[in-house]
Amino acid sequence: MLLGTLIYGFVNSAILALLAMGFNLTFGISGVANFAYGAVYIFSGFSVWIFLNTFGIPYLSAVLIAIVLSGLMGLAIYYGVILRIKGMPLSEVMATFGLGLAIMELFRYFDFVGFRYTLPIFFDGSFSVGEVYIDYQRMMIGLIAVALTVCLYLFTNHTRTGLAFRAIAQDERTALTFGIDADLVGALSMALGCALAAIAAVVILPLGTIAVEGGYEVLINALAVCIVGGLGSTVGILVASVLIGFSQTFTANYLEPHWMMLVSLIAIAIVLVVKPSGLFSHQKELEERI
Amino acid sequence: MGGYIMTEQVPLLRVKNLTKIFGGVTAVSNMDFDLPEGNLLGVIGPNGSGKTTLVNLITGFVKPTAGRIEFRGKEITGWPPYKVVGEGISRTFQMVRPFYQLPAFKNLIVPLYSPRVKKLAGGKYGNRDAVALDLLEEVGFERDAYVSYKKAGALPQGYLKRLELAKSMALRPDLIILDELFSGLSLAEVASIVPIIEKLKTKGKTIIMIEHRLKELFRIADRVMVLNYGRKIAEGRAAEVMESPDVKEAYLGSEGE
Repeated sequence: MLLGTLIYGFVNSAILALLAMGFNLTFGISGVANFAYGAVYIFSGFSVWIFLNTFGIPYLSAVLIAIVLSGLMGLAIYYGVILRIKGMPLSEVMATFGLGLAIMELFRYFDFVGFRYTLPIFFDGSFSVGEVYIDYQRMMIGLIAVALTVCLYLFTNHTRTGLAFRAIAQDERTALTFGIDADLVGALSMALGCALAAIAAVVILPLGTIAVEGGYEVLINALAVCIVGGLGSTVGILVASVLIGFSQTFTANYLEPHWMMLVSLIAIAIVLVVKPSGLFSHQKELEERI
Repeated sequence: MGGYIMTEQVPLLRVKNLTKIFGGVTAVSNMDFDLPEGNLLGVIGPNGSGKTTLVNLITGFVKPTAGRIEFRGKEITGWPPYKVVGEGISRTFQMVRPFYQLPAFKNLIVPLYSPRVKKLAGGKYGNRDAVALDLLEEVGFERDAYVSYKKAGALPQGYLKRLELAKSMALRPDLIILDELFSGLSLAEVASIVPIIEKLKTKGKTIIMIEHRLKELFRIADRVMVLNYGRKIAEGRAAEVMESPDVKEAYLGSEGE
């Protein structure tokens, strides 16, 4: 029982980290909280389903197209909406949240409801550790979460674009004086964030059904991880994913499964009371000293 | 039409009829001036006279309401900051904002990565760390001392201002605009930065200095421009300008003589 809880706790943590990564990236760089994040997540899920079942495109191609489409959607959201209201956080939240609602409810309107909306598993089969069975799909989620984290680290620390991303994240004004195009970087961060949401969707959704409600759940989970870890902090995201992931799994296994959703909400509440900037946020420190 | 032969040399920077209105307030009003290459122009004026707005207009941080800005004869009016930088205009800020978490010399890596620097260096970036350390030495960071490796957040104000200067130099600009570089510095610190600016001048850089420290400014400025209520009220050599009755009134009140 304990071994199983630990293994599934790890998988759950990986899922949370995957969910939060894109949201955190966009916020960390451009300061935009993309509340359409959950909508992008289910959009890519339904896209893959449509490509597979309506157009008969092979699975892997369908996945790649969906990821690219989601990235383009991020660009469209940035240039179409965010750019007009940039620097007004409340408007950004309202506009993206409204857009997200519209996208998700549009799927409901066109009757994308029911158990037939599932994606096939990438690798079928399972193996056992001791007495615990674990399927390859969950194993893969863990590996992809780790691989993406490493890729993002390399990208932000060892490429010119990554450097520009970090410069904008630290101080937009200073970055501008260095000749960095803040709007282009913001748009790219949005596109990358949405593409990450799509990657999360295509690896996680085969575990269940694609449902509009899933979009709201994803947004809450991503928010919980980001708030607990400290918005914009990559280390914070990883730590918070593990904390919340294991708490959820332990709650489900030792208390009641339907209390799982409460964990992230309680975590948000506790962090907001105790350390509002999150466990690993540098935001306060960075404020002007002079 | 046409057939004119340009006898006059095109100035590095030409500002014509530049106007900026914020809400109902005219921050910069119908301003005209030319800045020849290699000159050091001092811009002075009381608080709120439009000096920083002028800098923001030239560097693209603020879009003008009317008027025209030309750099090397090319119109750059209303360009975004990153494009203005690419043309070769860099600036400092009165309130410095380095990347506090990075070591001082790493602060220069970002500008040293810019396409402009790459182009000027013949398509290669070279050893950026070494270039950064050299630049810091140029602005008075002691060579081989630990200070260049300290986090910018731990540096005292004097060093932060030098770092700000080094950042603007790292872009290898043709025109450097220094917005109150001396503010918040001690006399000794100002005295040690003046030679650095003189050296930039001898290297042929064109410089605009917004300053309140008139004594130091007048020593190094070729020309001085005085602003008041967003208007240019005088321009010329420092000594002449300070004799103008308008300037006396703006600076000292009407009791002047």
